[in-house]
Amino acid sequence: MGKDVRVQITSGMFTALIVNLVYPKAIGLTQGIMERQAGGDFWLATIFAILQGGLVLLLTVWVVNRLPNRSLAEQADVVLGKWIGKVIHLSLFVFFVGAFGASAISFVYHLMDYFLPDIPIYVFVLAILVVTVYALFHGLEVISRMAIVGVFSILMLNILLLIGSLKDFDVSQLLPVLQSGFTHTLWVSRQHDTDWAVPVAITGLILPYVSKPKEWRSSALVGAFFGGVTVLMWPMLEAGVLSPQETGQYIVACMQMARSAEIGHFIHRYEMIMVAFFGISLLVQLMLCLFGASLSAAKLIGLKDYRPAIVPVALLVGIAAYLLVLDHNWAIIWLADWWPWLAVPVGFGLPILVGLLSLIRYKKIKQLAASGSVAQNA
Amino acid sequence: MKWISARYVARIAPFILSVFLTGCFGQEDINNLAMVMAVGIDEGKRPGTVLVTAQIARPSDAVGQTGAPVGGTGKPIWTAAAEGRSIFEAMRNLDRFSSRRVYWGHNKIIVLSAAVARHGVNDAIDFFTRNHELRMRTWVMVTPKSASEIVASKTGLQVIPGDSVDRLFHYSAYTSEAPPVDMRTFQATFLNPTSQAVLPRVDIVQRGMPATHKEEFGTSPQVELSRAAYFIGNHMVGWMTIPETRGALWFLGHETSREMVLHCPDSSGKWTTLEMRTSHFVITPHLLNGKVSFVIHLRADFDLVEADCPSVSSNLVLTHALEMEARIKLREELLSAIHLSQRTGSDFLRLGERVEDRYPAEWRTLRDHWPQTLSRAEFLIHVKSSIRSPVLLAVPTRPGSVSKEVIK
Repeated sequence: MGKDVRVQITSGMFTALIVNLVYPKAIGLTQGIMERQAGGDFWLATIFAILQGGLVLLLTVWVVNRLPNRSLAEQADVVLGKWIGKVIHLSLFVFFVGAFGASAISFVYHLMDYFLPDIPIYVFVLAILVVTVYALFHGLEVISRMAIVGVFSILMLNILLLIGSLKDFDVSQLLPVLQSGFTHTLWVSRQHDTDWAVPVAITGLILPYVSKPKEWRSSALVGAFFGGVTVLMWPMLEAGVLSPQETGQYIVACMQMARSAEIGHFIHRYEMIMVAFFGISLLVQLMLCLFGASLSAAKLIGLKDYRPAIVPVALLVGIAAYLLVLDHNWAIIWLADWWPWLAVPVGFGLPILVGLLSLIRYKKIKQLAASGSVAQNA
Repeated sequence: MKWISARYVARIAPFILSVFLTGCFGQEDINNLAMVMAVGIDEGKRPGTVLVTAQIARPSDAVGQTGAPVGGTGKPIWTAAAEGRSIFEAMRNLDRFSSRRVYWGHNKIIVLSAAVARHGVNDAIDFFTRNHELRMRTWVMVTPKSASEIVASKTGLQVIPGDSVDRLFHYSAYTSEAPPVDMRTFQATFLNPTSQAVLPRVDIVQRGMPATHKEEFGTSPQVELSRAAYFIGNHMVGWMTIPETRGALWFLGHETSREMVLHCPDSSGKWTTLEMRTSHFVITPHLLNGKVSFVIHLRADFDLVEADCPSVSSNLVLTHALEMEARIKLREELLSAIHLSQRTGSDFLRLGERVEDRYPAEWRTLRDHWPQTLSRAEFLIHVKSSIRSPVLLAVPTRPGSVSKEVIK
């Protein structure tokens, strides 16, 4: 994929994309999994992961910034050679199929388990595919604009939850800390690292489309900070209002939190409103996962444009997501035990690997950067 | 050009597929729903079964605040019961004779009979927290009577009795005789490895006056919310008295606006009443040589709301004497709750959690024999009380003749 000059994402859109990409799965499914593994320290594990995710995100920006016209995968092509580049595209493709599956679990279990238990799973998967494919044909810029709406939705959702649950917040429920040990809590943070792997991988792909490279770093930093804060509110409230044990009982802990919220005596069960806000950011995440998978597939088979790959890839991820979502038990085992082994090495490993190798092949990068800048000036 | 057709397909597809998203799946008209407002769980007649009693609102006869009977039956609720081996089976068995689909989304109270609570509440918690229809803010309570009796009782001012009991909890801070416990908090305490659960107690008392036979005062049954049941693990162990419950409420963090009736300081044998306005409760655990102790600071501010002490000439004299009496009473209530917890080994006061928060490393050894450690724990209680306001009156009310004598 060469840089498509028509597509231009502003720094604000890029920041919004980061927030939308990290948020949806992190607030519910991930928190439940982390509580079951780290007990009351799950909110600390979230903080650890936010710091790790933020750092890797900044590293990704730094690496891409060295050759700002090429995505991370394209840099891998240059630095590592064509065939190793193919392996990286393949691993990115598998990663995005997995990320789509993880988001689909989040989408279906939020809506089906709590609101629409009679609707067959295939309808949810079809709805996801139709919306994401439709959005993708409209392009990255449209999705990025939607991400700004998604940030507004996230803010509204967080505010609504705060209003409805702050009165029940008991800070002592956050104590004691590090009962499962520092290293174990750090190890458990890999679960939330899987959520950060998605914005990191997407950043590696779309950064060349983002205008004003000088602002990349600050936009990423703001995105990581804002994404971290909006996510962190949830485990804090889940621990302080529900209790850690109750958080760990549920597959989708955030929905349990949402349906426990109450404003005064009269406004309760307003989780339907909250989930409507939530859905926007989740759909943005699903769209970009499909975008990442389509782009990687196109690069893998040597297509110049990713659009021809959208429908076949959508069918493939749709089938994978359907099979994944079909059985709750299997989905949770996959999310907790299998997904981190794919998400973290690819999502976090790739920028680290390309970053290290570009240090080794410093001269070539410098050469390419110079020729790129000459071309740009020309 | 070849992608134009795909683009058009992508544009048309959402409209075609939106047919699936109109909510037709699982749709149910409101007219076809039987809205459960209260549910009771008893032991069934056959061993190993449960009896589920549902109080179902009849909306057409429950219109407005007075329940103007547009439905024509004059009865705003219909109560039905069914047995099953599990709660879910019993609920489904209700559908055998209910002419509408039984819907649990508006249920406000869950009543467990003491027999069920003593046998174990694990199943009830699992069912009610697993079910997406039920609210997590549903009040949970235990009754010494049968739960079906409570659910079937017409009680309170509201047209729907389930509503009346729901409101009892909203205003329970005025009496502070029972902890308001909803399913969310009950589940949280139940899952806690250290603490034990408490549930409020409801009973039926003959307090109401029938509308048609007013001379029969006290013959109409009313649901009363008072006292609490305490648990060890899965099982209810016993009932608390009112002072024990009031003492426990401080530890459980429930706000209170209770009254306190005390003797007049003039030895007349008459009564004076205080209303609690603000309070502050702090408990700090200490650990020394493996011995656990707790320091409690309680501060309560009252208003003097009623005094029938004719020989006391000034509010100041009255309040000085009553402050001391209030301190003693609050201390007694705290001690009664503590002694019950120590005696039974049920940490319903959540004292272990406080030790764990402050001494996490030591807690790892303490937790294995916590009931024994708790029974030996010492408590240092500091209570401060002040009566800040006599409300509107500058001097206590006394007959004019007595006042004149004092002035002379």
